[in-house]
Formats: sequence, C-alpha cells, structure tokens
Amino acid sequence: MEKREVTFRIFRFNPKRDEKPCYRDYKLPVPKGMTILEALQFIKDNLDPTLSFRAFCRSAICGSCAVKINGFPKLACKTQVLNEVEKFGTDILTVEPIDNFPVIRDLIVDWEPAIEKLREVYPYLIPDPEVVPHTLEEESRVYPGELKKFDIFTDCILCTSCYSACTAVKIDEEYGGPFQLARSYRFAVDPRDALKKERAKVGLAFNMWNCVRCEKCADVCPKHIAPVDGIMKLRGLSIEIGKRDNPGARHVMAFYKSLLESGMLNEVLLPLRTKGIKGIIENLPLGVMMILKGKAHSPIVKPIDEHETLVGVMKAAMEVE
Amino acid sequence: MLQYDIVIVGAGGGGLYAALETSKKKGLKVAVISKVFPTRSHTGAAQGGINAALGNVAPDSPEKHSYDTVKGSDFLADQDAVELMCETAPKIIREMEHMGLPFSRLEDGRIAQRPFGGASFPRTCYAADKTGHVMLQTLYEQCLKNNVTFLDEWFALSLVHNGERIAGIVAVDLKTGEVHGIRAKAVILATGGHARIYWKRTSNALGNTGDGPAMALRAGIPLKDMEFVQFHPTGLRRTGILVTEGARGEGGYLINNKGERFMKRYAPEKMELAPRDLVSRAIETEILEGRGFKDDEGNEFVYLDLRHLGRKKMLERLPQIRELAIDFEGVDPIEEPIPVRPTAHYSMGGIDTDIYGRTRIKGLYAVGECACVSVHGANRLGGNSLLDIVVFGKIAGEDAANYVSEVSFIPFEESRVRDEEERIESLFSGDGTERLADLRNELSDVMTYGAGIFREEKKMRETLEKVREIKERAKRLKIEDTERVFNTNLQQTLEFLNMVEVAETIVLGAIERKESRGAHFRLDYPKRDDENFLKHSIIEKGEDGDLRISWKPVKITKFQPEERKY
Repeated sequence: MEKREVTFRIFRFNPKRDEKPCYRDYKLPVPKGMTILEALQFIKDNLDPTLSFRAFCRSAICGSCAVKINGFPKLACKTQVLNEVEKFGTDILTVEPIDNFPVIRDLIVDWEPAIEKLREVYPYLIPDPEVVPHTLEEESRVYPGELKKFDIFTDCILCTSCYSACTAVKIDEEYGGPFQLARSYRFAVDPRDALKKERAKVGLAFNMWNCVRCEKCADVCPKHIAPVDGIMKLRGLSIEIGKRDNPGARHVMAFYKSLLESGMLNEVLLPLRTKGIKGIIENLPLGVMMILKGKAHSPIVKPIDEHETLVGVMKAAMEVE
Repeated sequence: MLQYDIVIVGAGGGGLYAALETSKKKGLKVAVISKVFPTRSHTGAAQGGINAALGNVAPDSPEKHSYDTVKGSDFLADQDAVELMCETAPKIIREMEHMGLPFSRLEDGRIAQRPFGGASFPRTCYAADKTGHVMLQTLYEQCLKNNVTFLDEWFALSLVHNGERIAGIVAVDLKTGEVHGIRAKAVILATGGHARIYWKRTSNALGNTGDGPAMALRAGIPLKDMEFVQFHPTGLRRTGILVTEGARGEGGYLINNKGERFMKRYAPEKMELAPRDLVSRAIETEILEGRGFKDDEGNEFVYLDLRHLGRKKMLERLPQIRELAIDFEGVDPIEEPIPVRPTAHYSMGGIDTDIYGRTRIKGLYAVGECACVSVHGANRLGGNSLLDIVVFGKIAGEDAANYVSEVSFIPFEESRVRDEEERIESLFSGDGTERLADLRNELSDVMTYGAGIFREEKKMRETLEKVREIKERAKRLKIEDTERVFNTNLQQTLEFLNMVEVAETIVLGAIERKESRGAHFRLDYPKRDDENFLKHSIIEKGEDGDLRISWKPVKITKFQPEERKY
C-alpha cells in the first residue's frame, strides 16, 4: 500500500535537565489511516523510546492526548496524519505541548492549574430538595427539552484544549477558564440544581466578563462543544438575577438600549453607559481624535426605518430564550 | 512513609464509587491513586448504558434481570452476587441520577431505557452513547464535592501484606519517578481489565494491562475464571475500537458478503441482539467460511449496517459512533455500512472476591473488571459492567470503611519499598537484546492464535509454551529512557510485564477447562459440561513461583442450569 514520508518535528524538553527546549525531527513512512498518536507510538517503539507523551483510550473520549499540531491543539488520537499534511500543504508536521500550561516533559503538560480552577467553580450538582427526591425509590423528572439545554456541555472530556487556546486565560490569571465556566452553566440550567441562576455569581467571581468572545475554545473543542456559548448564557443569567452593576453587564445593556432606542449602536454613549464618567475620561483622547477625523457620529441617533419591527423581533427572541 | 486508612487503586467507576462511599464516613483518611488522571479512566469509554430493572419502558423486575444475567453467564455466575447486583441496580441508578448524571429521558421526564443484547426487556439506561463518560464525570464531580484526596499519575507496583492482613502498597509517582511505600489498613483494587494482552486487536485503552491481577498474583492472592475473555462483536476493522452494542440495540444489521443478515442462522429469535459471545463466534465463522469481506491491508470483516435507521435517529441516539466511524474508518454510517470484526473487550475473570469485594487477605478488596465476584460468569451481558463497578465499588467502600474503624495499622516493612526500587533498577540495566514493541506484538499474536475466540488443546499448549518463553525473554528488556521524570518507557515496560503474567493464567485456565461455556469456546469440547465444569477455576502462584489451579463450586440459588438458547 502507498505510504508517504512525513517528518515529525517534535518539541523536546525536560525542565529538570535541559536549559531550554529543542525540536527533534523524526521521519517515517505514513500509511493511509495512521493517526498522530499512532505516529508518536511508532516513534517511541522504533526510533526513540525517550519521547514522552500521554495517551490512553485511543478513541477521543479520555482527553489525555491533546497536543499542538502545526500550532493548533488537537487530540492526537483522532487526527489523521495525512489529513494534516494535506491541509497544511507540507510534509513537516510540528508537534508541541499545548499552551497555557507548564511543561512536565516533552508533550506532557501539568494540568493542575486548570483543574484547580475547575475545583473552585463548584463543579457538581447541589441537589434542589424540591426537585430531587429524598428516597432512592424515585428519580427526578427531567424533561427532554430541559436536558437539551445543558446536554452538550456534559460532553466535555477535560482535555483542556480550550483552556490552552483561551485568550482570556493568557491575560488574566484570575479568569475561570472556558471549560470550567461552561460547567458552571451546565449546572445553572439543570432543573435538579439548588443554586440554579445563582451560579452566575460564580462566573462573576471568576471574571467571566473577561471572555473576549474570540471563540477559539469553540474552534478547538474535539467534542464540538462551544464553551463560549455557555459563558455567554451564564452572563445572561447574571443579568437576569440583577447583577448589572459591572462594566460587562452595563456594556451589554448599553447595546440593548441603543438598539431599543434607534436600531443603531450609539458608540458615543457606549463608554458613558459602560463605565460612567470614568469611561468618558478614559476614552476622551480617542473620542477627540475620532471627532477631528470626522469618524464620530452625533450622540443623537435617528431611529432606522422599521425600527418598530426590529423591537418586535428582539422581544420575541427574548421570549424564546 | 505516606499513611492512609484506605488506599483505593484506580479511579474509574469502581474506584470512585468506593471513594464516595468512604467519604461519607467522617474522619477517615482516604486516598485514590491512579496511573491516569481520574476522568481518563476507561469507564469513560463505555458507550451503551447500564442495566437496571426500572421498568420505565416495559414492566420488568430485578428477578428477570438476574435470570438474564445468569443465563448470559452460561450459568457460571454466582447467583447470590447476581441477585445482589440486580436488586441494588434501580437504587444505585437513582442515586447517580440524584448526583446529577444526565441520563437520556422519556417524554414524561423519567429515565429512558433501550434494548441490549441478551436482555428480555428494554432495560439499559443510557445517556446517548456516552453513558460511561457522564458517569465517570459525575462521580468525579461528587468526589471533588466530598474533598476526596487524589494521587494522580501514580502507578501501583506491589501489595504488601503479612499473609493474613494487608499492610499497604508500593507505588511510583510517575511525575518524579520516586518509589513510595503507602501504608494502609485497607486497600481497594479497582484497576480495570486486561484485554490489552490482545494488543493488536482490542477495544481497550492502552493502560488496561491487568495491573491489579498481576500484583495480586505476585502477592499470592488467587485469581478466578481467568480463561474467560469476551470478544465484542463489533470492533472497527483497523483499530479494534469499539462500536457500542447500542448500535445493534437501536436496530443495526450485521451483513455478510452475500448481503444476508447472517445472524438468522445462529440466533433466529434474537438475531443481532443475541449475547456477545454468540455474535462474535457467528461473525468469525462467517469470515472463516469465506462469507466475510477483505480490504487492501488484509483485514477481514463483516458489515454493521445502520443506514436504515436514518439520519435523525443516528444523530440523536448514536452521535459519537458516527463520529468514530468517520474519524477512524473514514465511513459515515448514515451513507455506508461500518466494517467491523470482533475485538478483545472484557475480562470476566479477575481477583477472586466474595460479594463484599473481600479477598483472601483481610483488608484487601477488589472491585470491577479487575475482580471476579462473579456476576458475569462465562460471558458478560452488555450494560452489566457499568452496573457491576458501581454496585460493588459502593459495597466494598462501605465494608472497608467499617473494617478500618475497628482495626489498627500493621507493620509495613521498609524493605518492600527497596525491593521495588531494585526491581525497577534492574530493568534499566537489562542487556537490551529484546525490544518491548516486538514482545508485545508477539504476545498479542500468540494469544489470538491459541486463546482467542476459538480454542483447542494443541494450539493452547503451543501458546502456553510461547507465553512462558516471552516471559523469559522479557528479562532481557532494557529501559532505554534513563530519566526519572515521567518515564513512559518504564511505565509501558512494567505494564507489559504485568500482561505476560496475567496472560499465562488465561491460557492455563483455558487448557484446564475442557468444555465450551460462554466466551470460552473449544473446538475439541464444543459442549458445555455441567457435570465436570460447573465450577470456577482458581489460579494462584505457589511458593515455588509456579501456577497452581484448583476449583471452587458455583453458587446456585434460584436458577437451575438449562441449555442457553436465544
């Protein structure tokens, strides 16, 4: 059968011994069907037994083997080598440990910081005594439609790919992290949970408004979960329970208000509505520049045509949610 | 030396349930050690579901569940254990439901149930095709809630006891490479299965290497019914990765190269939903008799056809299976049938325990796939393994918690830690004339040849010789990686050494059991022989290091052995 020579350029590092990481090349013939994990195991078995990586189930359910292939986090076990070669148009694949974690050795990272954050977000059901029966003779009733609200988030395998790609994690040490906040949301909408919407406060405590909605977490998730969706909905719950006195919520409310008023985003009023006078002062130099360049619009915005229809659509959408 | 009241080895469903149970008792110091981060455990790969006679879809009872289980076991299961498991099933399902486990639901909000092989009713509770995954996540969440102590990525090396009571274990912290003694009043082994012995064709995770049974064997603790290894009918053609029984539960067909649903010849009534041993033999027979398919690489297979289920049902009920087939076989089951072949899947045999998970050594327990209670006998029914681990994990956890509050620690000889350090040192200084990958593949080939789906005396004898030869040659393995930090070369070598030891017990048991029963099928003894073999095989290591076999009666309560027809 036809095979293709592929070079694996692999990150090698033992912090206990090496001053800095290096990359080592391994060339091997790749048959159709070979996964990145099979290639790594081939290298370990035949070329270099010191190559260190984690792997377990081989079938994309245990979350052990997330690595970076040409810069993108992927599960080694479910990634076909030849697909990557094709996609990147190169016979050289760089394999590195995922970002945002300390490296223990080669492709093995220390998950502990992310798991520590998971432990902090109350990642478990706190049963609502009104819903969850007190005896083991009965089950709680959860209707299919209710399950649907959080079911996708229970697919998370803690592979930490999303955490490794997260922009907010990079800049904010206190940020809760995508899979962690998504799990908070999962319980917030579980009818059996006692905290329910109150769980949005956990999101607030872990800076959920610092998510910049880059959606990388959704792009890299091997289980096709979009943690960002959970975070957005958790934000929504925080507004519902009246936690509006923060820049994030005010920013969203300002958008909402703008649209209700005119159907257009009132950018001039946005800083004021989000951050108050402080916002005006902070944005003053930019504002002045914009006025000078003729880029600023008047603070009074005329409603768009069919504005009433838009408002109707918005209200209907709110009801559906 | 580290010291805990209870040490649990393994963090799959069995280990975590035991941990939860012990955490209910205040003041106990408990640690769970696991060679992988807890939610990586292989429980997570169980797709199809967990059996319990809830009767949510059709009237059902624990007694009927017991009967199906005993019949499925080919009457080798201990019926007191089966009854205990099946009676506990509805309660433990609800207990997990109350913990937040996201079961799939019926329109009226109750837990949904699907049909499974060997069951008389739709009895299998499920969460789409990710039941084990959500169970593992839910149990881990609850352990976090109860502040369970975890030693993640620690690998257990040996058991320490004084011939009567357990003193603790020796383990290596993989992150540092340091060997530690861990003193404990009770140890619960929950290390999982050993089907990885069939390295090249198995559904198992890379780490299902029989660490628990191997440690037990070395410590003089008997193993039971080791000859019984279940081959799951539907592994993916290339990798052996599993396609859940749920796929047949939802109505999938098995098709040969004549386009026939060939199960009509083997189980006219149950068809594709006959028990696993029967379906696996049917597929192998079709292939052996020339009615299978063959691909360019020489893989032989039949088709699992799900196309008639339609896109909607597939996406709703079997989304993971669809993705597996696409990622690993390049086949979208909505458009094309899936190429499958039986794959080594489940170890019915294991460490001999009673219904509380107790072993011969006081304070040493074993639960789940590494143990043999026995509830699965000669063949496990789909949906009963997840049930086994949670029921007996809970029972053993409770029993151990009571036990440790009544006893004190016994002495733990420091020299036992040095013994393990020396054993590891010697692996670094082997002469290196043998290679790990070669020996692993050879073991797989020879086990498939002599101790696979079809067995016969001559081939088994050859296999036994060969396994012993591989065990000798393994002494010449050398660990090439000399680093201490996360040495996966060391770990894989230790795992292989465990596998060879366990493999020998499988072949020995298979040779001695001169009958066919459940997953153990002998061409030279094709009939079940209740007169001579309605009994458990017990294998242990004597003082001289040789394996000895003896037998133990089967406990029969309600169900007298009868012919097993489907």
